[in-house]
Amino acid sequence: MTAPDKTRRLRAEHLGSTLLPLMVEAERVAATVAQGVHGRRRTGAGETFWQFRQYQPGDTPNMIDWRQSAKSDRVFIREREWEAAQTVWFWCDRSPSMNYASRKDITSKQDRAILLSLATAALLVRGGEYVSLMDADFSPATGRAALLRLTSELEAESGFRANSLPPSADLPRYADVIWISDFLSPLAEVEARAKTMAAAGIRGTMLQILDPAEVDLPFRGHVRFEGLEGEDGHSVGKANSLRQPYAQRLQSRQTALAELAGRLGWTFLTHQTDKTAQSALMNLYQALSPGRGAAG
Amino acid sequence: MELLASLSGLSNLGFLSPGLLLALLALPGLWWLLRMTPPPPKREVFPAIRLLSGLPQEEETPARTPWWLLALRLLIAVLIITALAHPVFAPGDRLSNRDGSVILVVDNGWASATGWSDRITTMDALLAEAERQARPVRLVTTAAREDGALPVVGDLMSARELRPVVQALQPRPWQTDRAATLKAMEVLTGEGAAEVFWIADGLEESAPTQNPGGQKAFSGMMSDEFALGLQKTGPVSVLRAPPAHLPRILTVDRAPSSDSKPGQSRFIVRRSAGSGSSEVTLVARDPEGRILDRRIARFAEDEKQVRLALDVPNDIRNKIARIDVDDEKTAAAVLLLDERWRRRSVGLVSGQNVEGDQPLLSSHFYLQKALVPVADTRTGDIDTLLKSPVSVMVLADVGRIVGRDRAQLSRWIDGGGVLVRFAGPRLAESGDDFVPVPLRTGNRVLAGAMTWSTPAALMPFEKSSPFHGLEIPDDVLIRQQVLAEPSANLSDRTWARLEDGTPIVTAEQRGQGWLVLVHATANADWSDLPFSGLFIGMLERLINLAHGVTPAIEGNRALKALEHLDAFGVLQSPLDAGKTLAAGDLVAPGRPPGFYGTDSTRQALNLGSALAAPRAFGPLPLSISDAGLEQQPELDFKPLLLTIATLLLIVDFIISLMMRGLIPGVPGTTARSAARRYTGLVLLVTGLVAVGASVSFAQETDDEFAMAASLDTRLAFIITGNTEVDAMSQAGLTALTEVVRRRTSVEGSSPLGVDPEIDELVFFPLIYWPVIPDMPRLSDVALARVDAYMKSGGTILFDTRDQQFVGVGNILGGATPEQARLRNLLRRLDVPPLIPVPPRHILTRAFYLMQDFPGRWSGGRVWVERHNGGVNDGVSGLVIGGHDWAAAWATDEQGNPLAAVVSEGQGQREKAYRFGINLVMYVLTGNYKADQVHVPALLERLGQ
Repeated sequence: MTAPDKTRRLRAEHLGSTLLPLMVEAERVAATVAQGVHGRRRTGAGETFWQFRQYQPGDTPNMIDWRQSAKSDRVFIREREWEAAQTVWFWCDRSPSMNYASRKDITSKQDRAILLSLATAALLVRGGEYVSLMDADFSPATGRAALLRLTSELEAESGFRANSLPPSADLPRYADVIWISDFLSPLAEVEARAKTMAAAGIRGTMLQILDPAEVDLPFRGHVRFEGLEGEDGHSVGKANSLRQPYAQRLQSRQTALAELAGRLGWTFLTHQTDKTAQSALMNLYQALSPGRGAAG
Repeated sequence: MELLASLSGLSNLGFLSPGLLLALLALPGLWWLLRMTPPPPKREVFPAIRLLSGLPQEEETPARTPWWLLALRLLIAVLIITALAHPVFAPGDRLSNRDGSVILVVDNGWASATGWSDRITTMDALLAEAERQARPVRLVTTAAREDGALPVVGDLMSARELRPVVQALQPRPWQTDRAATLKAMEVLTGEGAAEVFWIADGLEESAPTQNPGGQKAFSGMMSDEFALGLQKTGPVSVLRAPPAHLPRILTVDRAPSSDSKPGQSRFIVRRSAGSGSSEVTLVARDPEGRILDRRIARFAEDEKQVRLALDVPNDIRNKIARIDVDDEKTAAAVLLLDERWRRRSVGLVSGQNVEGDQPLLSSHFYLQKALVPVADTRTGDIDTLLKSPVSVMVLADVGRIVGRDRAQLSRWIDGGGVLVRFAGPRLAESGDDFVPVPLRTGNRVLAGAMTWSTPAALMPFEKSSPFHGLEIPDDVLIRQQVLAEPSANLSDRTWARLEDGTPIVTAEQRGQGWLVLVHATANADWSDLPFSGLFIGMLERLINLAHGVTPAIEGNRALKALEHLDAFGVLQSPLDAGKTLAAGDLVAPGRPPGFYGTDSTRQALNLGSALAAPRAFGPLPLSISDAGLEQQPELDFKPLLLTIATLLLIVDFIISLMMRGLIPGVPGTTARSAARRYTGLVLLVTGLVAVGASVSFAQETDDEFAMAASLDTRLAFIITGNTEVDAMSQAGLTALTEVVRRRTSVEGSSPLGVDPEIDELVFFPLIYWPVIPDMPRLSDVALARVDAYMKSGGTILFDTRDQQFVGVGNILGGATPEQARLRNLLRRLDVPPLIPVPPRHILTRAFYLMQDFPGRWSGGRVWVERHNGGVNDGVSGLVIGGHDWAAAWATDEQGNPLAAVVSEGQGQREKAYRFGINLVMYVLTGNYKADQVHVPALLERLGQ
């Protein structure tokens, strides 16, 4: 592992150090659920005692807790708490358009996306959850080793991936997906992909990372814009005159994305690279925390 | 300011090609064109470009060239067009509107050099006027030409033809000859109406005439006389500079003065009357033009001359090549100084350590005392002394002149140096052949325990001797001398003898210089001579042999011209090298001031000595109009306008680059921070500076060695090139250092290998030098280093490692190849006499008491310097033996010995270590153990 990787990972871990370990609420159980350390506050497979229940017909006799039953006339069954870990799949956009920073004093969208992915992953791992990376040869894992692997995987091809959308690969049903991107590819494609995933019962959290220049369009005068992903160039006579319509267009896209998320029961978050990573992480944390169902 | 002033009279502004101004009409078209062509767009990378495409744009071609850029470009166009139309500011109308020719009479003697450009401007203005009126012009110069031919009258020419002639006109570094000019102009009388302009230098002529009394006198035609003479040709206008601008003359003040000190040089600056009070600065420079001294004096109101004294140390005075009046650009304001001004400098070299224990008894002290009234002395080694010129070099008891020094010295003598050597113990024991007569080894003691003879006095000097005439005091006795081998030319080369006829001073001429040997010491060890006044007299005579005094011009032999001063006081190579100077010649037409003679004996000829005190023109006849010179030249605006246009073009170019975002480091986005735009430029400049700084990096490597060698006490060994020997030396010294560390308080670091060809040796207290037969011959540089090392207190242990072949060897008579090689090396060094280590030598008691010094072998003798009385604390610079000590000391990393020792085995190895420790203590602590020698006496005294 090279030095920058290490610093980035340490930075990511430090970023989340003030937050409690994150445990994903698993309402729906993903098929890949592995045994985990967290009680799910319901009965199920696990090792920790949960409750005694009176024997009912249909329960297998070997579930009977004889010691408890001997204390009274009734027959009790010992139930254990369901302990399971959820797997969270990350999709971090690593297309060339992410590799952009309008000024030297702010980080590129790519860097911020990776940082947030790692920070979230670190929190999840501390919470005992499993993390995995879409579009990579990465079986769900937990612990420090998983974090290290995730770091190197994200570093490996940052800014050079061709696809700006998550693959339609078959994720296990009811998985959790964190989808970090700039969401600048055509809306229809994003929508189609999101719907496919939602149809498989996947719960998603979309984080749109934008550069301040992409929000404010601070250019003036005669400008020829050039894309990063082979788009055609676009000449503008008076760039400042475009500011208003551009802002509207961006706004409408964000509204559309938010609506889409709402329809699918997903979460849509936005973040600008000139803001602190901490704020974005807070949002992600809240979006993923178990309490959100109650709050929302 | 001048420009503004001239622009205020715009009526005088004219265009030489006014037709081009029509191009200004095209400006509106240009305006339109520039407006139509927008600047190319900035290029911006933008990921969200998909959101941009298809957005409605308010204007289709909205980007225009900004108005200020448009204005800038139009301004550039206007400037270029105006410049091409060639605007010129041309004043002046001195010519009357009459027909007939114009005659320009120009004083082009030395005095015109001040304000020469004003004169050219004036003539140019006159020519421009004559050109406008289409009148022919004739040019008459009043000073003789380079070849000394008298002034001639030029042909009638058109002003246009004459302009290049006038531009090329140069003042001559001698006087004008107005009488001859008038005579030449007689041809013109009756030619018809002409207008005469006399561009005068404003000084009356003062040509020196040699009158029989030998007293210098000056004569010349008066200005009013000349003006009236000119008037015969036509109406005369005199154009001249105001009196305050008249030139000043610098001469040497030879008049004796009460307050003058010996060694002080005095000068006079003269000026014409009536110029108010002003300051005058004398500047003394060396041949390269560097300023050595500067003196300021002040002319009081109506004072015509001022005296200045230059009071500088001799070595600085000797460097002065010229003195000039600051801000005065004429030949008369320059004094060239030749060798007559120089005091000779004497270099002192001693074979002994200069800072010896007894400085008041050293040769240096005597020589220094004797030479101070006569010359400047400098002390150093031969190499440093020769780096700057010395006239005389005195070597006090230097036995051998080693290596490069010898070649340098003999070259220097051939070029005229005088080398005076004094004898002494070193020269007597091991002298070289760099002496005038062959010497016998050893000295002759006239008065001593073993002799019957008595100290001898000097015989009166012979006529052929340079000492002839010096009085010999009775009490000068010579007690000891070195003797010359009798030879055929011995008596020719003898300048002084003792009563018994043996030479005491011999000399030989080599090339242009002299090699002189005094057969006694320069201190009082061998004779009383240094106590006497005779010593000073003899040294003075010897110094007078040296160059530094320019010989007078012998007979009629004329001196060739070397360098000339032009009228502006600048040295030039002579136009005509055939010019010569005879004794008593002054500056005259065709004989400019400058240097004459040969490079070694230059004589300066100065203009000032040929001039009388300057006198301004008296009142001129009323019929003659008198005006000032033209100060204001015709101003040509073309270059100025073109320069401004070019600069603006560059600005425009930079702006264009910035607008397109092409300047590196300027982020294309916006003008969010102006400072950031210049990041690129700053980076570039920083880069250049960094490159410059890295050049100085190379010096550091040399220091590393010096630091490593000097920060810790280290032993060193000479790298012979033989791997086996070098490895053994390294191992041996490492083991010795370890043993020394264990047994004594010396904490040495690991030894270093050195190569005298490359490395500096002075850092090491002890150098182990294994001698191998095929050791390469040392270069002169290395020899000098070794020599300096030994003289500055270092010790070298020469180990021939060949005891097994010698049996009982003798370093001076032995014959093994190593010994031969060593002898070869020592012959080229200045080695004092050697003896086997005597029984009470400090080496035998520096730490352990021991009488023999075995190494791997044993039985040989070890040699040290004999005379080690006070120099370097009595530590011998050389220890020579053949016991192969390094092999005896050497161990591997586990401490197992690397080489077997003969005979005694481990006992002998222990002795070898003890010798090593003794040697290290000896070189580090010097003679303090010598006190033990006195222990019996001290004990005895205590007992009483």
